[in-house]
Formats: sequence, C-alpha cells, structure tokens
Amino acid sequence: MNLLRQAYLLLCKDLLLELRRRDSLLTMFFFGTLLLFVFHFAFDLPPDKIGELAPALLWLAFLFTGTLGLAQLFQAERDNHCLDALLLSPLDRGALFLAKTGFNFILMFLVELVVIPLFWILFNLPAWNLIPQLFLVTLLGTLGFCVLGTITAAITLRARGRELLLPLVLFPLMIPVILATIRCMETVLKTGGVADAMGWLRMLIGFDVIFITIGVLIFDSVIES
Amino acid sequence: MRLTVKQLAKAYGYLWALRQLDLELAPGEFVALLGPNGAGKTTFLKLLAGLTAPSSGTIELDGASVAGARGQIGLLAPADHLYDQLTVRENLRFFTALHGKAHGDNELAAALDAVGLSARAGEYAGNLSAGMKCRLSIAKWRLLDPGLLLLDEPYGVLDGSGVDLLEEFLRQHCAKGHIVIMASHHVSRAVNLCSRAVVLHQGRLSFNEPKQSPWPSFDRAFGDFLPRGGL
Repeated sequence: MNLLRQAYLLLCKDLLLELRRRDSLLTMFFFGTLLLFVFHFAFDLPPDKIGELAPALLWLAFLFTGTLGLAQLFQAERDNHCLDALLLSPLDRGALFLAKTGFNFILMFLVELVVIPLFWILFNLPAWNLIPQLFLVTLLGTLGFCVLGTITAAITLRARGRELLLPLVLFPLMIPVILATIRCMETVLKTGGVADAMGWLRMLIGFDVIFITIGVLIFDSVIES
Repeated sequence: MRLTVKQLAKAYGYLWALRQLDLELAPGEFVALLGPNGAGKTTFLKLLAGLTAPSSGTIELDGASVAGARGQIGLLAPADHLYDQLTVRENLRFFTALHGKAHGDNELAAALDAVGLSARAGEYAGNLSAGMKCRLSIAKWRLLDPGLLLLDEPYGVLDGSGVDLLEEFLRQHCAKGHIVIMASHHVSRAVNLCSRAVVLHQGRLSFNEPKQSPWPSFDRAFGDFLPRGGL
C-alpha cells in the first residue's frame, strides 16, 4: 500500500472519529469565536488602524485555537495504546504524518471559515472583496502551522506536561510562518492584491514544501523515539 | 519463521530491565514467558514487537531486523489497541487494511462469528467489556496471521469459553509454523500449551528449555516464584 493510500486511510479514520466525538472541532470553534469577542471588546481601534492590526489579531486567534487542536491531535492514539497498534503495522510513518497534518488542516480550515467572516463583521472591516485572497494566504500559513505543529505534537507526545511544552516548542519555530503570513495579509489589505506580497508568498510556499518533505522523511524517528 | 535474539539488553536510565538475553526459536514454537513481576517480560515483548529500541543486542526474524519484519509481528494486548469510537467491524476493517490485508465483509463476519461477536459487530468497541475486546483482538490477529505473535497476560480478562477460544487459536497458529510467545502468570495453563518455557528473573534469562514430562528442572527453576500460601 503506498504512502498516499495509507495516509488517506488514516485521515478517514480520524475524520470519522472526530465526526463521532466532535470534541476538537467544537472546542476550537468556540475558543476561536470567544477570542474574537475578547479582542473586539479589549481593543478600541480607530478605523484607520484596524487594517494594520487585523492580520496580527486574526493570527493570534488562529495560533491559540490551533494549539488547542494540536494538543488533542494524538488523543485517539493515546487512548488504549492505539499508537502501538499503528506502529506494529507496516505503515509508512510518513503516511501518519501526512494524515495528522491533513486532519489538523481540515479542522483549522473549518474554524477559519467561520472566524474570518466573523472578524470582518466585528471589526467592521470594509474590504469584503479581499476575503478570497486573504483566505488563500491564511491557508498557506495554516498549512505551515499544521506541518510544524504535527511534528512538534509528535515530539512532545510522550512528554510530561506536553500541553505546556507544545506551545513552548512550537511558537518560536512558527515565527517565519507567522511573519510571512501577517506581512502578506497586510500587503493584501493595503494594496488590494497579492502582487506586491509575492516575496512573502514564495517564502510561505517554500516553507510549506520544505517542512512537508522533512516531516515525511523524519517522522519515523520522531514518532518512535 | 525463525527468531534469533543475541545479547539483547535494555536499560531505562540506570536501571537494566533486560541483560544479555540470547534466544533462538524455531518455526512453530510456543514459548511460555514466565517470571515474577518486574522480571522484564513486558519489556522483552515490546523489544520483540519493535515498540521500544534495545540498548544493545539484535533481534532477527528470518534474518531480517524487527523494522524489516513489520507486519509479521503481532501483539495481542487483551483490552488495548482498539479504537473505542469505531465499531467492532470498523476496527477489524481498519487494522486489516492498515496491514495491507483488506478482507471482504464475509471474511470479517466469519472472523467475528468465530469469536462470538457477530451480534455486536455494529457496536462501538468502547462499549465492549475487556473480555469482549480481547475476543475482538483474537479475531484481528486471526485475520492478520502474523509470523510472530506476542501475548501479554491474555488470561486475566477472558471467561472460560474465551480461554478455550484463545488456546485453540494459538494451537492452530503454531501448527502453521508461526511462533507464539506468551507472557503469563497463569503458569499451569501456559506450561500446558507451550513447547518451551523461558523464565526471566531480574532481567536475566534464568531458564530456557523445551518442554519435558516430567520436568524437574523447570519445577526447581520456577519453584522460587510460586506463592507460599501463608498468611
């Protein structure tokens, strides 16, 4: 069975479990929405400053929300020692990495589908026509977050206090992705297009491709250590 | 399948869980892995399964490393290794597909029928008792048919008919030329089934002999670990 078929099998299993439990998605959704309301009431921003701060605030919400999801990423495998059952099989460990990254990406995408329009409404941002382009940038950033997050979640899987350790390890590693995504979004909001942000966009794509490749190659050592 | 273990050792920090363990098993052997608590039985099974790396030494299955023999090694953990939120049938389907041995509905139904779980095929595995989960694990490994099957204390959760079912499955499994290694504290049952007994004590191999009848050397080796019966 090849890598992608194995990854698809594992992804279907994770989606089915999430569909039945709904704990990760609901927690992430409510936490993300709650953060937006907190930001809305905490920051009394003048209309000309909102555009500058919007990407950073939005990504702050995604970071915290996504970290919640990552903390739950291997929960099904921790229960009943199911990770051992997976590791006993001839499964390519890279497939497990792809499946977990894909699963987390789908959860974050669903949360972002709600959170981004809600952010626009709460902060009364005018440029609704820019949402598709901002979504594209956000998805590239989200993919980077999920790729690095899956590797980090696997590294901290057997650690004591892993919920605490996870963001401490992940956030510094995430700086290039966050920086590139926020700068990209700022440029889109300022200029109305992605043309001027191609440098940052290339950096994001490069980051995603490099870390997906690294993840597939090293996940064997990461998950079995 | 032939299993060769050479100078196997495993340390957790400064504590040696296993030391200088050598073992050679021929196809079709059934090994009763015995010893007191903390002797290193579970560590040995985990090393054989490739779930933990040895500190030194090698394990070879037909000349291949454990990593190279993945899919040929099974670990029957009585109430573990099942997804609670998948149904009984889905668990079987998922794990057989994962091992690249996808089976049709009829084969899955036959495997469940053989362990008395056909009526509960649509229930979540999480709703099953530990004994039922163990039966499901038996069905899983019956379908996957590994060359080396490891069992860690399977008797504790099974009722009478479950024990019969397990023992019949293990006999059939060995008859195919596969190796079975069962760690258990139910000495009489394990010895009754086995073709060889291996006793671990404080991480060292203290006894390793093929079964004989009578077996005075085993009685002497294992006598120290039997309960005294006093209050």
